Amino acid sequence: MKYGAPILSLSGFPIPEILDADATMDEIEDLIHKRGKCVVKPVFYGGVGKKGKAGLVKIVGTVGDALKAKQSLYFAEHFFHNERIRSNGVTFEEFIPSSYEIYFNFSVSTVSRRVNFTMTHHGGVDIEELDKSMIFEGSFDAITGLKSYHIIDALTQLNAPPEIISPLTQYLPNLWNLYNDFGFTTLEINPIRMENVNGRLIPIACDFKAQFDQDNPQYKRLNIPSEVFHTDLTDFEAEINQLRTYQGQSDVVVINPEGTITPFMFGGGANSAATEVLSTKTTISSDFGGNPPYEKMYDIASITYKYWLKNTNVLLVIGGKANNTDIYVTFKGIFDALRDYSAANGKPEIYVIAGRGGPNLIKGFSYAANILDNLEIPYKFFGYDSSMLEVIQYAVDVDNWMLQNRNDRGKRQIG
Amino acid sequence: MVKTDNPFPYFVGIKSLKEVATTENRVVVMNILGNESRKVTPVSHSYSGGNVVAGVQYGRPGELQTPAGDIPVYSRLAEVVERHSFDTGVIYLPPQAVFYAVSELCHYKSTGQSDLKKIIIVTEKISVKDQRMIRAICQTNEIDVFGANSLGIADSWNHVRIGGALGGDNPEETLLKGSVAIHSNSGNFGNTIAEYLKTEGIGTTTIVSSGKDIIIQFAAAEFLNAVQNDDRTKLAVLYVEPGGFYEKQALDWIEEGKFEFDKPIVACVTGRWKANLSRAVGHAGALADSNDDAESKEKWFDDYFGVPVFDPTHPDRVGKRGVRVVSIQHIPAAAKALLTLYGNKNDFEPTGNLGLKLWMGKDFGWKLPPNLKLELTKAIPPYDKQIEDAQRQLGATFLRQRMRNASGASRINPETQVAELHGIPVIDLIDNPLESNMLFAITKMKPEEKKLELVNICLNYLSKSETFAFETMRNALNNGATPNEALLSAVGTLGDHPRFRLSRKYAKALIDIFVELGIKEYDHKVDFQEAQETARKFIPSGNKKPEDFENYLIEKMLSKYGEGNIIYYAARYAQENLLENPALFLITSIFVSISLPALVLKKISRETAENMFTYLAIEAQMVTWMGISNFDNEVLSAIRERKDFKYLEGSFTQTAYHAIFGEAPEGNRLKEFQALLGLTLTNGPGTISAKGAKESVSARNNISTAYAGFLSNTGLSHGGNGYEAIQFLLKSFDGVEITEPESTTVVNVEEISKKVAIRYKNYKEEAKRSGATSYDRIPCVNHPVFKGKQVNIDPREDFIYKRFKEEKIGNIFWEFYHNLVQSLYNEGVSKNVYCVNIDAVIAVISLKLMWKAYSENRIGDEDMQRIGFFIFLIGRMTGVTAEIIDHRNRGLDMDTRTPQSELKFVV
Repeated sequence: MKYGAPILSLSGFPIPEILDADATMDEIEDLIHKRGKCVVKPVFYGGVGKKGKAGLVKIVGTVGDALKAKQSLYFAEHFFHNERIRSNGVTFEEFIPSSYEIYFNFSVSTVSRRVNFTMTHHGGVDIEELDKSMIFEGSFDAITGLKSYHIIDALTQLNAPPEIISPLTQYLPNLWNLYNDFGFTTLEINPIRMENVNGRLIPIACDFKAQFDQDNPQYKRLNIPSEVFHTDLTDFEAEINQLRTYQGQSDVVVINPEGTITPFMFGGGANSAATEVLSTKTTISSDFGGNPPYEKMYDIASITYKYWLKNTNVLLVIGGKANNTDIYVTFKGIFDALRDYSAANGKPEIYVIAGRGGPNLIKGFSYAANILDNLEIPYKFFGYDSSMLEVIQYAVDVDNWMLQNRNDRGKRQIG
Repeated sequence: MVKTDNPFPYFVGIKSLKEVATTENRVVVMNILGNESRKVTPVSHSYSGGNVVAGVQYGRPGELQTPAGDIPVYSRLAEVVERHSFDTGVIYLPPQAVFYAVSELCHYKSTGQSDLKKIIIVTEKISVKDQRMIRAICQTNEIDVFGANSLGIADSWNHVRIGGALGGDNPEETLLKGSVAIHSNSGNFGNTIAEYLKTEGIGTTTIVSSGKDIIIQFAAAEFLNAVQNDDRTKLAVLYVEPGGFYEKQALDWIEEGKFEFDKPIVACVTGRWKANLSRAVGHAGALADSNDDAESKEKWFDDYFGVPVFDPTHPDRVGKRGVRVVSIQHIPAAAKALLTLYGNKNDFEPTGNLGLKLWMGKDFGWKLPPNLKLELTKAIPPYDKQIEDAQRQLGATFLRQRMRNASGASRINPETQVAELHGIPVIDLIDNPLESNMLFAITKMKPEEKKLELVNICLNYLSKSETFAFETMRNALNNGATPNEALLSAVGTLGDHPRFRLSRKYAKALIDIFVELGIKEYDHKVDFQEAQETARKFIPSGNKKPEDFENYLIEKMLSKYGEGNIIYYAARYAQENLLENPALFLITSIFVSISLPALVLKKISRETAENMFTYLAIEAQMVTWMGISNFDNEVLSAIRERKDFKYLEGSFTQTAYHAIFGEAPEGNRLKEFQALLGLTLTNGPGTISAKGAKESVSARNNISTAYAGFLSNTGLSHGGNGYEAIQFLLKSFDGVEITEPESTTVVNVEEISKKVAIRYKNYKEEAKRSGATSYDRIPCVNHPVFKGKQVNIDPREDFIYKRFKEEKIGNIFWEFYHNLVQSLYNEGVSKNVYCVNIDAVIAVISLKLMWKAYSENRIGDEDMQRIGFFIFLIGRMTGVTAEIIDHRNRGLDMDTRTPQSELKFVV
């Protein structure tokens, strides 16, 4: 809720009082005093993690317990998709007593191809654990948006207690404008607790999760600190990401920093297939398709060499038969950068393997061959009549051979 | 049977694949003149028989020229609507503008002003919000959408492609009429799969590049329904990536009977590894959430097919409903098996297989194990011809760029501080004779030892110049010219000499013959008679037979080289044919032979090889011009006269020694001289000597003028430190009798150095006392990099010092310097022991070489300065040759000019 609270307040949705990790003992005491207890939660960047399920939410009744909880949760870890996620601090949040916990979510559905909203008044838990009959999932027209009647219909269908229907109908539709106008792809509140204020229930958002569309600049209006998004970006990925403004893809992810094959993959298909075959041998997975201009390709290659060439055995350039990507331009970028890298750092001891097709193929191959001839770096270029997967497998085999032929000092004996 | 009812809970206009891309479609392209469309649309338009009626380029009307006629371009869609009818929109706009363009297209449909039926969106990186808005308004207006991030749609039967670049710049090559329809999340794979299918003789009906944004507008269900209703299509191929439930929905609906489907499917799902990602890499929508990762998708298909994944070793094990393959390379075999199962034949003869076919490659001596060795394979047409053409182009091509402050020839190694030429430190070049380094500077390769004998004959032969060159020099010197100025005046007379031009013709012809005969390696046997026929086509003929010198050279050439070397063929050719200048032809052939390995390895450009004679002829003449004071030297005279050819056989280093010192080298003198020349070869591209040459090149002058540029940018300040050091040494040894500086024990250098250190200490203290802000420093000691330790060493000097020690080459002056730095420390002049720097090497060797003549009063101070300067010029001339070549290869006209922004006016 550290970042969620100010976002939700934009839509007027009620939120609990929240203190961040550097709150004083007096402030924490006042917060506990308000309700008799408070909630201590770890802060996970990137909208990942299931804190409650992982037992990482603590409800405490004394300042001492609050501080103990802070200590244990400050760098708490848990696993998400096999990835270790580490907390970046904690929040102390007002405890909202409630008989109901509501789950509410907006996301794009690939089934309806519209925005879906999902809700249940059996929230506060992982909703995948609930029976489907206890969950409402529906979509609505993106042009007109979510209306009160959608909420009434949903809650009626769920046989929700009548006293929660009216307050939720009043507040939940407001979330649509927030979702629609600030570049969200997912907005989830779980739980919404219903506070009884003078006999009337008020929904209070007690936990918030969001994902944003990086192709929609509207999310920038929320001024969320960049580290919230970049926590899982390596330096290499962040540096490449700066080239996104150019035409063409520049998606990269580090697969294994100790990898010995560094690939330039072209096209989403090649990216998907090649990364699978290369597995942990590859330093990075990439997609540089979309006909990148020379400058972009040169910069991408230079950055890639800077990070990965030192430990690389095989430099792989792989793609199918390009429709529109100019092979000459991309090869010129890749191999000019290799030439310049070699001029500055000495000739790398690598084997270059390329499998490619597309416009200006031979012009590109010849240009690359020219530079590699000059550098006396061995290479093999395959056309698109060779299976892309076999080319990748060949790169793996060459890499294995090179790994076997290093001598004790780590120097390779291949000549 | 064609179903006309829409079985889906949303609008789908296209019921059959036949309707996806038809010859009736009339297309309007938004942002038609944008970077991508400008290249792709003309190809699509031509391939489809001219289906683009108009384009829109906001604010920039005009036309787009295509082989199928020009396409009118309007600045607003409204104008297109007024003048043309269309049913298909293609959008190439930037992402932020796509939704507005879709809205506008829909608007004209809703007002009845257009009959829009489908939109293809090529643009990538459209926001999810815009994707859902596009979905909403196109559903409302009953328009089919392909994309975004689609490479378009194509129909091989209809010979139509719309939108992106399926089939690349030559769609005929990929879009072969056949029986398989492809729906691919990857545009590139749509193309690649079609290519792969060709290997089994299978063509395509329709290819749909669906894009892989989060929302796929024309997804698997709609596609399979259209496959079912297309009697041309016998099999569907689905290439699927993680993320989204589109395929599950389609398969579930088939199972539920929502739409009828009874044709086989080959499905390929990739991207298992993406399960661990928390953000998209590659396709924006290829990020799995829960239950829609690659593994889940594989299971959907396996359950539907009811058979395990395709095993290429048992291609018959496919189910009636189809099969899943693990990678796209198995699609052709699986498709063939399924088509056979259904009694369908190939669409055409198979075009081959997908095994590894090496089109281009080199191993550079890497000893790959047998299982990794691959032979070159002839590429498929038209690439085979293109590769052949590319390989016929001997020599490197370099990227042209601003070379004002750059060089591809030399640099100072930042770690060692040693200057390098073509990657070799100058301290490693000191072992090579001058002639070897002259060739290395041009070819970037050390020449074979056995070729040097011929090279020496050639260089000595070429060192003869027109007598007026000496006259010019003498006049210049009489007018008070410095040595470099006098040399410059002689070089200035060369221009692009007729000999240079004729040699270029010969070199070009000889290289052309190699290309024509398809010789790929430089040692290659050809039938001489056959080769001669080819040679006559290229080599300019004349009316001269070989005479004395030529016959002498031919004999040398034939005695050293047999068949397989260009030298052999050239010698034979000169024997049997009349030439304009047989000597020049023979010499050129020797140089071409030397340049050939560098050409084949693409180390040098063809232009460099063709001008090799020019470079070497200029350099050879410059060396002998430097011997103007020793004009009557016996060896130089004999070389000039060209009567006794044995004089031509001497090493060119020796010729240079004669020119500089007017006498034969004694003892180790030639080796020391050679080391001096090697050391001064280059000091990186930033030196003004190199800059002079580079600036001349950038003004597009003849090669000889580039040398004039080099000479005009050298002067008395060059080798200044060396000359000052000589003066310093002479002063230090004043009154000391040395008969042979080779001996390091004839005098007590320790004592001399102590005396000099004390004298310097006193001088320095006196200077300080008198308030002088600066005072003379001892030349050749200390270095800005090699300092700060208790005992400092310049590794370059140290390397040569030790090398000479090993070879027992002594030098009293050098020993003095080593003692001096210690004495300076002992006397408190320096806080630590300075290094003796590299400049000292030049000074002490120069002085040693001149000592005899000096001590015998044959030369005076002025001569010593001249000789020192000439030594520097010969060495640097070699390095500058490399800079001239490099700049000619890589530079741009006027690229050495200073940008206006860096200029300032001073008062």
